[in-house]
Amino acid sequence: MTQPGADHLPLTELLTPADLAGVADAVRRSCERATPLYPIGGGTRLSYGAVPVEPGVGLSLGRLDRLVDYPARDLTITVQAGMTLAELAGRLAAEGQRLPVDVPRPDRATVGGVLSTSVPGPRQYGCGTIRDYVIGLRAVDGSGTPFAGGGRVVKNAAGYDLCRLLTGSLGTLAVIVEVTLMVKPRPECSALLACPLCDWEHAERLLAGLVHSSTLPAAIELVAGPAWQDDPLLGPLPPSCVAGLVVGLEGTAAEVEWMIGRLQEELGQAGGKASTILQDAQADLLWGRLTEFPSAPAPGALEPVVLRVHVLPDQTVQTVEDLLRLDPAGSVLAHAGNGMILARLSLAPDRVAELLEGRLRPELSGRGGSAVVLSQPTGAGLGPVTVWGPRGPAHALMQSIKDQFDPRHVLNRGRFVFASPTR
Amino acid sequence: MTTTATASLVRELRRRLGADNVLSAPSELVAYDCDGYTLERNRPEAVVFPRSTREVAEVVGLCGRYDVPLVPRGAGTSLAGGCLPLHGGVVVMLTRMKRILHVDLRNRLAVAEAGVPNVQLSRALAGTGYHFAPDPSSQVASTLGGNVATNAGGPHTLKYGVTANHVLGLEAVLGDGSVLQLGPVPDPAGLDLLGPLVGSEGTLAIVTRVWVRLTPNPQDYRTLRAIFDTVDDATNAVSAIIGAGIVPAAMELMDQGIVAAVEAAYHFGFPLDAGAIAVIELDGPTAGLDEQQRRVDAFCRQWHAREVLQAATAREREELWKCRKMAVGAVGRLSPSYCIQDGVVPRTRLPEILRQIVEIAARHGVRIVNVAHAGDGNVHPILLFDERDPTQVARVLAAGRDLLEACIQCGGSVTAEHGIGVEKLEFMDRQFAPADLEAMRRLRRAMDPAGRLNPGKLLPSRSPEAACGLAETARNQPQTP
Repeated sequence: MTQPGADHLPLTELLTPADLAGVADAVRRSCERATPLYPIGGGTRLSYGAVPVEPGVGLSLGRLDRLVDYPARDLTITVQAGMTLAELAGRLAAEGQRLPVDVPRPDRATVGGVLSTSVPGPRQYGCGTIRDYVIGLRAVDGSGTPFAGGGRVVKNAAGYDLCRLLTGSLGTLAVIVEVTLMVKPRPECSALLACPLCDWEHAERLLAGLVHSSTLPAAIELVAGPAWQDDPLLGPLPPSCVAGLVVGLEGTAAEVEWMIGRLQEELGQAGGKASTILQDAQADLLWGRLTEFPSAPAPGALEPVVLRVHVLPDQTVQTVEDLLRLDPAGSVLAHAGNGMILARLSLAPDRVAELLEGRLRPELSGRGGSAVVLSQPTGAGLGPVTVWGPRGPAHALMQSIKDQFDPRHVLNRGRFVFASPTR
Repeated sequence: MTTTATASLVRELRRRLGADNVLSAPSELVAYDCDGYTLERNRPEAVVFPRSTREVAEVVGLCGRYDVPLVPRGAGTSLAGGCLPLHGGVVVMLTRMKRILHVDLRNRLAVAEAGVPNVQLSRALAGTGYHFAPDPSSQVASTLGGNVATNAGGPHTLKYGVTANHVLGLEAVLGDGSVLQLGPVPDPAGLDLLGPLVGSEGTLAIVTRVWVRLTPNPQDYRTLRAIFDTVDDATNAVSAIIGAGIVPAAMELMDQGIVAAVEAAYHFGFPLDAGAIAVIELDGPTAGLDEQQRRVDAFCRQWHAREVLQAATAREREELWKCRKMAVGAVGRLSPSYCIQDGVVPRTRLPEILRQIVEIAARHGVRIVNVAHAGDGNVHPILLFDERDPTQVARVLAAGRDLLEACIQCGGSVTAEHGIGVEKLEFMDRQFAPADLEAMRRLRRAMDPAGRLNPGKLLPSRSPEAACGLAETARNQPQTP
């Protein structure tokens, strides 16, 4: 097995501390030398962000994988950051509960990594994102000082919400070592309904109609491009169709049965074509495909560049169209109910900068949208401006928060939006 | 501030906002010397009523030049002193910024100014099939800006979450007078500033506009009222329901003391010897509700419920909610004054905290009755007293301290939805370690380096001198008037 991170990060060595003190010690030493430290969870999202160039120490959280506390009837669980999502899911399932956050490669992805990267999946429409579930954490700031935020209760108005501040900060403010999550009961039943979309106008009509559905979808997904064209799970997608619509439904058996019937009626009234219904193992397979889409292995030899785009939900269809016009051989998964679009590009990495900076971002800025590179193949070397875009108006404020939490810019230097310290 | 400096500041405020939008006469200022927390009072130098974000920014800029603290205020319903002008300065009233700017059903969001009362947004959404989920008991008066500042909750947070889960974007004025807009579309190329801004009690920025997520109305409801002999039976039933994987929209608990008050006031026909009454509401697609209701009913009976009644009609449902919502008001009949506390424990520790509250009441000779959002472990003990009697006031304060301490000991928090304000400052370093508080201070330093936004709230000063220093600064003559 290759050392996690070796492909993506310029590591001089890999530390594998077994406890909080070990993590704090490692950060403190990097801070004293003012050299970078790269925290590593399961290594599944190391290609998210710009490629760091300065050599530094890798800090694996893999050995911090213990369950700390699981009072199941409080609907909370506290685990160390290195626990994998699969392990967490197993523990929760034993009590009939789950964390309804979809994460690719759950056998490797860790709780700390999921929190740091915060890439929502299909169920964000009905269930929210990881930021809605994190209620407490322990972390080590860039000087090596451990601190805690939040607590272990589901409702807490004491002090600032440091949990959400750290969520999605790509490990640049602190190294997360322990997390308390709110969890939910597992629904009794889960089903997916898939139907083909003849043209883009039709797509927007159905999506707009779903806003007034009397069902409660857990996910509203739009799929398009070669990656989905021959997927047997989606049923027959006529070649003339531009895309497919997938709606996820969860609840008690009686609720799901009723919602399937009701949704078919509603889609029929809006001019939807006959739909395919997936239940049980088939549904699990398609949920898995939707979740794994951004990181699924590419059929060819080269890993694709994957973009992460956010717009208002009513701009989803237009944006998907734009993406497919700019890259006709690319594939798209849109979490259409939330306006989040993942695009697996067919373009070579060296053409991505032009696509993003010259075409996509200018179009999106008029719609209040955003686009970043979610992953790039090893060696592509896309820099911070291509990956994250130009600095926004709040950048100076964010930079001063960074300076407060990691004064010597030790944590994940060069990966996120922050300037490297001048030397 | 010196009298001349104050006069000069007021003159400039008047010139920019118009004389009608600035109060400075002592007789006018007295109404702003406290909020819903009345034990501490201090008069501000001026109260301003900006009508736009630009005007808020001008006020902030001006206060920067005079080095005067700012206290943002909505309806002033804070029970923790969040709007108390502790160090004087300028109170910024957001109540004239009360326009609902846009209801966008396709994108399931609404945009409103910070001064819009929570209930006004609900009314504007009537008939759309959507609602704004946070419904604090203060919702008739409290504003969206205030809800954001305290991360407000309400009885439905068990299933639908708190304000933080429903804010998609904010426009806010920072301490240097610049305007920040976050959202409503997420931008992963940066830090999640919405997270810490919600619940920051006006200490990081003055929120002027809010983009909120709209939640679809449930298709149907089942509302039950269960009467238990003991509080323990009621909390065990709540725990069993959660353990069975049922998430009711609300699970409200009233103890014997509050039931007696409600009964005396409204004659609902509740048995006066009942240990506790639970109001449990299920919502969702009709198809699943009857089965869930049967299971909830069975759990209540398994835990010795004496009676489980269900509301058969919308009117009966309203009646059931009425008795819960009027409970606090009914307390007014029991004593001349009362103080509603807010604490939270892990839900399974609810029986323990309620037992401790009984002991604390006995120890201090204070009558305490309880309502609780049982599903969240959020207790609202109501302490009854007569504020004209200083010894009673002292006993109530001591009992309040003990019960918040008990919440911390149970692994909980000293506030679930009211905020820290000034009332609970002394508990911050009991609930958090010094390094935790230092991390919060760093965030505050980064966002408001001059420390002019609602100073003295949420975070204890490291030393009393630091707070005095700020007050001293505020009294200094401005450099560039």
